[in-house]
Amino acid sequence: MSMSAPDAVRMTNVSKHFDAVRALDGVSLDVRPGEVHALLGENGAGKSTILKILRGVQPPTSGAIEIGGVPLTTYSPEASRAAGVSMAFQEMSLVPTLTVAQNVFLTREIKAGGLIDDKAAIAQTKALFAAMGVAIDPTRKVADIPAGHKQLTEIIKATSQPCRVLVLDEPTTALSQTEVERLFDYVRQLRAIGVAIVYVSHRMDEIFRIADRATILRDGKHIITAPMSELTLDSMIAHIIGRRSRGFSDVKREAATLGETLLETRNLSGEHKPSQVSITLRRGEVVGVAGLLGSGRSSLARLICGVQPIVAGEIRIKGKPVAIAKPRDAIDAGIALVPEDRARQGFVAFHSVESNVGLPNLDRLSKKAWVDRAKLAALAEDSIKRLRIKTDSRKATVKTLSGGNAQKVVIAKWLATEPDVLILDEPTAGIDIGSKSEIVTLIRDLAKSGKAILVLSSELQELLAACDRILVMSEGRIVRDISRHELDDPANPDSLDALQHAESKLNKAMQEARGAPVQ
Amino acid sequence: MTDSAMPARKTPSPLAHWRDYIIYIGFVAIFVIFAATLGERGFLDPNNLLNIIRQTAIIAVVSVAMTFVLGTAEIDLSVGAVAGLASVATAMGIDHFGIFGGIVCGLGTGAIVGAVNGWLTTGVGIPSFLTTLAMMGIARGVAMWISATAAIPILNKTYSGIFGGGNIGPVPSLLIWMVAFGSVGHVVLRRTTFGRRVLATGGNETSARYSGVDTALIKFRVLMLSSVAASVAGMLYAGRLHSGRFQFGEGDELSVIAAAVLGGTSLFGGAGTVLGSIMGALMIGLINNGLVLMGLEFSQQLIARGAIIIIAVAISQTKKR
Repeated sequence: MSMSAPDAVRMTNVSKHFDAVRALDGVSLDVRPGEVHALLGENGAGKSTILKILRGVQPPTSGAIEIGGVPLTTYSPEASRAAGVSMAFQEMSLVPTLTVAQNVFLTREIKAGGLIDDKAAIAQTKALFAAMGVAIDPTRKVADIPAGHKQLTEIIKATSQPCRVLVLDEPTTALSQTEVERLFDYVRQLRAIGVAIVYVSHRMDEIFRIADRATILRDGKHIITAPMSELTLDSMIAHIIGRRSRGFSDVKREAATLGETLLETRNLSGEHKPSQVSITLRRGEVVGVAGLLGSGRSSLARLICGVQPIVAGEIRIKGKPVAIAKPRDAIDAGIALVPEDRARQGFVAFHSVESNVGLPNLDRLSKKAWVDRAKLAALAEDSIKRLRIKTDSRKATVKTLSGGNAQKVVIAKWLATEPDVLILDEPTAGIDIGSKSEIVTLIRDLAKSGKAILVLSSELQELLAACDRILVMSEGRIVRDISRHELDDPANPDSLDALQHAESKLNKAMQEARGAPVQ
Repeated sequence: MTDSAMPARKTPSPLAHWRDYIIYIGFVAIFVIFAATLGERGFLDPNNLLNIIRQTAIIAVVSVAMTFVLGTAEIDLSVGAVAGLASVATAMGIDHFGIFGGIVCGLGTGAIVGAVNGWLTTGVGIPSFLTTLAMMGIARGVAMWISATAAIPILNKTYSGIFGGGNIGPVPSLLIWMVAFGSVGHVVLRRTTFGRRVLATGGNETSARYSGVDTALIKFRVLMLSSVAASVAGMLYAGRLHSGRFQFGEGDELSVIAAAVLGGTSLFGGAGTVLGSIMGALMIGLINNGLVLMGLEFSQQLIARGAIIIIAVAISQTKKR
């Protein structure tokens, strides 16, 4: 190979700083034409920053980028697209009110005599889907098609114009097994014609099947680039986790004293996910749910809390079956949900701490529609003291609080409803590490005070620090039920290494759970 | 597990979309009812039917542009006041510079107001609801001020003939204006990249921007479009009634928005058809006419009209749950 083609992507010593934070720190990456290159790392490792730079949304602070041997000099979505970079978005860039075909050709409409030729667009879209081997009606409105079809439409949209580099960001989260097969065949077709594919996913089994090489990032730094043949699941997990100081090492773990069963689900199923989930939560217990993106983790929480409809199965509170059809039913049954997306679902940012804490408790705090201001103030002051919320006063708006303290406000507002069961979805997402362990300590304390707590999280360290038991979910089912002490290393019970050992063990359990038989 | 080979949701039958055509169904139903009950009171008289069109055409013209504005999930409340101001500006322009100058003054009024609305909304970032609400007062105030609240007569017969006063053979020129605006608007919304970008902007602004649509520019253009269409409406009022008056177009913004929504345009953006809006305008005119022929008092007409509009919109909107 004397005259090899230039690399499709060559990033040299690229850094990106946000104030003091180094999202990327001197990362070099090369992706060859006709290879599938996996990009791996935990949340916050720097993957999405690389994608944003490739897409032209953010310029790097320093470093050089070449696409197909040509240096990228300006950073804008248009410049990236002109250089041949296409991206299928995880966050869905489709317009729900337009049809599939209209979305695929949005901004590049096929025209006949100056007017849009929708028939041609429909025919071409049909041909593109045929090449992928899936039958999706191009005339349907995007709002009306299932999530998996949206994801495939996103990919077809990205590849409907010639591209040198295709970036797939978690492309399989909404896909069924067969759809994943079709996607992989399609990716192989593109690889065969020389497209370079950057593949971002948490699903290691898929990476092993589709990728030729992998690059692993950690804390904004390049850790390793190697052919897949030289990597094993263990070695990849070790590289992804790394060795670093543990933020949760100061959380004390002690054996929980368990009381009676508070929450029980029997064969609980939702419309798509979860399916046939049976779990038990006892007084004083913290149970974690681990699962990769798309495993049905958050759906389980939404089902128990009445946000999503229950299709089959039942929920029992203290042994009695309860009918939960809407959030109010769950609150009345003593279940409180601290939702995943704090800013959108958790609080009203420009209202005060007091009014946020009072919101779900207004009935209790008022007489004949008149809010008892003294009671409300007392509740707010009490919550601030109990959860150690750092705020100027109860009158300060939640907007002015840090992420950790805002999260405490959300927890406080639900604790004030005096629930038996508290469900926390990603309780420490986007919170600095110091506040994370404070929240985890708070979770442990609440359990000790007699609540049953369910924690859903994508951060394994957090689950390991908070939980007595961890359930592993995959494809909407609970596939493993692991007691926390099973994950400890018997030889090395009480050190930093122990937590690391537990994390790789849990990580491996989650990866192996994909496709594993239901327990 | 959903499988791509297995349709997760059944393909809906065409009948499932009957609500999309509610405006046409409703129009025909009301027409038939009026024809049956008001036949001998002259409802079916060609002159009466042409009258309905004369009374509706101006609303229909503006509702074409409003479809674009609502399509981007914006709103323009200033159209009625702009029509009044444009009628005054046109009348004064004809007085000073002749017919051509008058037309330039009228269209210029719409272009200036539209540019200001568009800049305030996309450049400064004030929601269009507030921008155009304020502009409604300003335009009406300016119209009262420059006309000293008096009607300004238009003596130019050619102008009145073209702009809404005359007939071409048996066809009122207002009908031609309506058909022209409707057919051009329909093609632009359905078959041009501009129209597609309008609906994409309103359907999901973030996605549209990710796909490379300059959503601010699109919003600027639709606000410009609606003001210019409103100024044409004002010029049509002026031609039809041989004068410019600040009162022309008062309250039209609500009729125009009602017409568009009746025609299936979403107030939340992303969906709408020009033909639907025109049918909506015609339906409002039809109802008004029928209620007058029934001999209802004005107060009763208001109540009946409101109720019919609520029923129609309720039927067309209930699918969205």
